[in-house]
Amino acid sequence: MRKGFFTDTSVCIGCKACEVACKQWNDLPADGGEFRKGGSYDNTGALGANTWRHVRFVDMHGGGWTFMSDVCKHCTHAGCLDACPTGALIRSEFGTVVLQSDVCNGCGYCIPSCPFGVIDRDHDDGRAAKCTLCYDRLEDDLEPACAKACPTDSIQFGDYEDLVEVAERRVAALHDRGVEDAYLYREPAGGLGAFFLLTEPPERYGLPADADSPLQQNVVPATLAAVGAGLLAAAGVAAAFARARR
Amino acid sequence: MKPAEPWFGERTGEPVALAAHSSDLYADTDYAAARREQGEPGPLGDVAPGIMKPPVWTWEIPLYFWTGGIAAGSSFVALACDLSGDHRSARLARMVSLGALAPSPPLLIMDLGRPARFLNMLRIFKPRSPMSMGAWALSVFGGLGSGAVAADVFGRTRLARSLGAANAVVGGYLGSYTGVLLASTAVPLWSRSRLFLGPIFVATATATGAAAVNLVTPLKPLRQVQAGAMAAELILSVINERRLGRLAAPLRRSRKMKTAKWLVNAGLALQALRADRIASMLYLAAGLLFRYAWVEAGTVSARDDEAVSRAARDAAGDRGGRTPGSD
Repeated sequence: MRKGFFTDTSVCIGCKACEVACKQWNDLPADGGEFRKGGSYDNTGALGANTWRHVRFVDMHGGGWTFMSDVCKHCTHAGCLDACPTGALIRSEFGTVVLQSDVCNGCGYCIPSCPFGVIDRDHDDGRAAKCTLCYDRLEDDLEPACAKACPTDSIQFGDYEDLVEVAERRVAALHDRGVEDAYLYREPAGGLGAFFLLTEPPERYGLPADADSPLQQNVVPATLAAVGAGLLAAAGVAAAFARARR
Repeated sequence: MKPAEPWFGERTGEPVALAAHSSDLYADTDYAAARREQGEPGPLGDVAPGIMKPPVWTWEIPLYFWTGGIAAGSSFVALACDLSGDHRSARLARMVSLGALAPSPPLLIMDLGRPARFLNMLRIFKPRSPMSMGAWALSVFGGLGSGAVAADVFGRTRLARSLGAANAVVGGYLGSYTGVLLASTAVPLWSRSRLFLGPIFVATATATGAAAVNLVTPLKPLRQVQAGAMAAELILSVINERRLGRLAAPLRRSRKMKTAKWLVNAGLALQALRADRIASMLYLAAGLLFRYAWVEAGTVSARDDEAVSRAARDAAGDRGGRTPGSD
């Protein structure tokens, strides 16, 4: 059964309890608090090898903030998973994308292959790391640490189909209440396992308007062009030598 | 005053300057500067920082692109020499190829976050991942290349020729997959060049391979090959930069790219004056600079949030996708 997150930004208060719970459960090191590190009043920066949940502060310029707890999207078409040459990244039985840190050799190819800038390589550890959707907790029928800690239920965890239904109902309810800008950010990359309810254009949250696995998009045409050019080059060299001989 | 550009591969997470309006933070990216020059308004309003992460690869990777390219290019030359009956030169070309290949695996292993686990690269065979296919191609190429040189040394000429021929086929992939590897990422400059990167990289590989063999054993057809391949590389690059428009700003601004193009033009002029071996050296230097320029420009492009978000919207348009929040 596919599991996922539904992150409803309309009720997020930016408390960052999810970040703390994630770091505690997954034993992740701090990456240095710094005033306004991630812009606005966000002191924790961005998603990275040691930050698997990050609450983004979207400054509304006089209209307060909108908060968004960002996380790995566990894409249906996952760029990182397609890129991984060692098989360290796998699709788990929960439909999530999980990195096996005992296999990863830190080649770094997953990093520019993620259109969402989620996965990163830790400088000291040398391996890539990202959200596992608390794989170890799911095995014991526990909900992920961030969802458990969220005081406003902005982060909801559950069976994917159920979550989609909940999310669609929530969008409809917001529309009824006059929040007409509310929409679901779920369609990119073949369907996001962890999806969001947003009220601003995606770029304001640091999300691309659309995305897909860059490998599924590009490997075949790029390889055909490249190998075609390779054959042409080899034939050209042979032709130059054959002509010189005559 | 523009801040110094970060060296590619540098750790991310540098503090972001404060500004009253967050779009001001990104006003000085290449993409935005090119847009302002054309007097166009910003397309997206505010873009939050850091949509995607730039590659973490350091200096070893472009250097490997260069050495691997030379190895592949000289394997083409070895096959052509054999086919035209010049077996002495073929032997030398095979040695050049193996010599250029030798530093490649150490370079790649050095760049890994966990170098001791390099063998995990051969744990699976994954056609979808150019990194996996490249690791396999490099292994096969290394095996065939060493076998061919060993056969040459022990006087098994027929075996050496057939191993060399097989290697030229693998070389066709080895010399071009590096372009595919870059084109298959989410980096806007690379992925929007997907049909050009492989051909550009294979042209550089052929030219630098021919130039390397020409320095060891000057051959008349090599003059044509190195000049032709370098000219093809230059033409493909110019066409690609034109069609990319603003997205190619990091390439156009790259000092390494400018120097590389200048070196190619100088080499072509020198060849007209029959100074072919000096031209070979210039081409080798140009090839190295091209590799660095492409990787660095991609890193700049990935950091350019406006370019990334615009490329995502363009790609969505190509796929006929619907993008939320657009007008």
